[in-house]
Amino acid sequence: MSASTIIFYIVSALVLVFGAMSVFTRKIFRAAIYLLFSLIGIAGIYILMNMDFIAALQVLIYVGGIIVLIIFSIFLTHQAGDKLPKPLFKRIVAGASMAAFGLIVVLGVFYKTAFKVTTEAGIDHSARSIGRQMLDYHHHGYVYPFEIVSFLLLAALVGCIVIAVKIQKK
Amino acid sequence: MQLSISLLEITRAIDSWLNSIFHPHVAFGIELVLAGVAVILLVVAMAVLMVYAERKLAGFMQMRLGPMRVGKYGSMQAIADVMKLLLKECLVPTNSDKMMFKLAPFVVTVVSFMTIVPIAFARGIQLWDINIGVFYITAVSSLSVIGILMAGWSSNNKYSLLGAMRSGAQIVSYELSGGLALIVVVMMSGTLSISGIVQAQADGWWVIKGHIPVIIAFVTFIITSTAELNRAPFDLAEAESELTAGYHTEYSGMQFAMFFLSEYTNMFVLSMVAATVFLGGWMPFHIAGLEGFNHFMDYIPGIVWFFGKTFFILFLIVWFRWTFPRLRIDQLLKLEWKYLLPVSIINVLFAAFIALMGWYL
Amino acid sequence: MGSVSILLLMFCGFAFAALAIGLGNKLSLKRYNPEKGEAYECGMETQGTTWVQFHVGYYLFALVFLLFDVEIAFLYPWAVVFKEIGMVAFIEIVFFVLVLFLGLLYAHKKKALSWM
Repeated sequence: MSASTIIFYIVSALVLVFGAMSVFTRKIFRAAIYLLFSLIGIAGIYILMNMDFIAALQVLIYVGGIIVLIIFSIFLTHQAGDKLPKPLFKRIVAGASMAAFGLIVVLGVFYKTAFKVTTEAGIDHSARSIGRQMLDYHHHGYVYPFEIVSFLLLAALVGCIVIAVKIQKK
Repeated sequence: MQLSISLLEITRAIDSWLNSIFHPHVAFGIELVLAGVAVILLVVAMAVLMVYAERKLAGFMQMRLGPMRVGKYGSMQAIADVMKLLLKECLVPTNSDKMMFKLAPFVVTVVSFMTIVPIAFARGIQLWDINIGVFYITAVSSLSVIGILMAGWSSNNKYSLLGAMRSGAQIVSYELSGGLALIVVVMMSGTLSISGIVQAQADGWWVIKGHIPVIIAFVTFIITSTAELNRAPFDLAEAESELTAGYHTEYSGMQFAMFFLSEYTNMFVLSMVAATVFLGGWMPFHIAGLEGFNHFMDYIPGIVWFFGKTFFILFLIVWFRWTFPRLRIDQLLKLEWKYLLPVSIINVLFAAFIALMGWYL
Repeated sequence: MGSVSILLLMFCGFAFAALAIGLGNKLSLKRYNPEKGEAYECGMETQGTTWVQFHVGYYLFALVFLLFDVEIAFLYPWAVVFKEIGMVAFIEIVFFVLVLFLGLLYAHKKKALSWM
């Protein structure tokens, strides 16, 4: 058991524990903060895989952007100290059975797949290789999706503003 | 670069000495402990220095002497402040979310410490030369909003919550222009790692080499850093005459000291980043052609250059505080979204054009 | 030093804060008084609940920030390889940035960012 395996188990345990706490807690703000720690744990797993750029992206966009957005929406709609109502028993049963079903499907796929252990060098995850591939206009380049992404972001921006301005006007 | 003693040689000597006495893993553990202690001492020393310097500079700019009684010329003032905060009771409001309330100072302190990882103090003196250096600092700085929102929510005080929301909106808006200012230099250097950016300035600092777009980026970055730190003239959310103290109204004693310390640490780190990216880090000031001058400049150690540049930018930020009147929240957000962000975006395209044409020095 | 520096500094920050706050708790006198626990409103008593109807405009700032943050995340890899690739990268990025700049102009026109 090398040090990196131990650290991997610890970080994965953190991700799962905080995810579970985020789902089961009844105070809404605490749920957002537990989700934050869970996402930071996932960034830690990316660092363990030597994918530094993706880890920083995870922190910048997921934690620094989406969690902040969620927290702002909590501020706008909830009172400090409000507790969410206790879930009904049949909902707990339905949720647990769906989760168990999902787990069985995923585990089945894992055990059926023959994972190949290889000693080849992994793909280069650095920002430089990501940039080169992203701007490459040849057959295996990604410049076309890159430009489409700008339109996707524009559509998201326009959509959000239309909805929010309508709420403001009311 | 011939220097009489190099900090890198000292650290390498310590490393080989430790490895000769202990087992390599134990030596590594001891080095980690030494590095941690060094970082904590740096942060504490910097906080003490900044508190004293700010009050003295504020005094001189307002034609008065500042602290003079505690110690010679008031130098022990920061120690007296720390003693006072230690002895105050750490109150926790009754109806607050106690766990989040107590957690918020820890979150802000940990985030401030985490930004110190990639900073290069001298040639080779870096905790970890991540290959995404500048991007790492931007990403971790964006975590500081969370601590502020946590503090504002868990205080159960309408003014704290309002202050936290305004602070949050302000910090989050100014992060955009800051990122764009850094992208200009990243594009000119062709690398994200801090040591790569410093190495690319071996023949001149970027503010001088990359003339107009980099100067615009530098000014934008200083304005943005001041706003991200919630410092005047952008400190509406925590000014005393406004929302009492904004998101840290309900904090007292050492918990308040942690918010205070993290603000100064962030100020220090952002100054170090500005000094590294725009002013050349630990590279001395060379003028092409004057060999004697360059030789003399080389004798001053890299760490002296680095801290000199950092203190210059810290002085600028302190100077802003005591010169400009405070901006209202709507003026502040208008400055960013209407003026700074479009200027930053066009500056990036302009800098790209100049880099393409090769019109930089 | 390697990636363990991040863990080291997280631990240092946590230990430092814990030490400082713990020391503060040990050294300070604690005298219980119910008024100490109440919310601070410059001496007045609080009226009503803490929940005030906050303006939805704050949410819009966070939303537009998120979209531009994603744009900046795309600009970072471009900035690293720009000088190697040259003119092609310049044309591609001008297109990308201009589309998003149009979005910013739309946001300004709809007064989404200047509601205060």
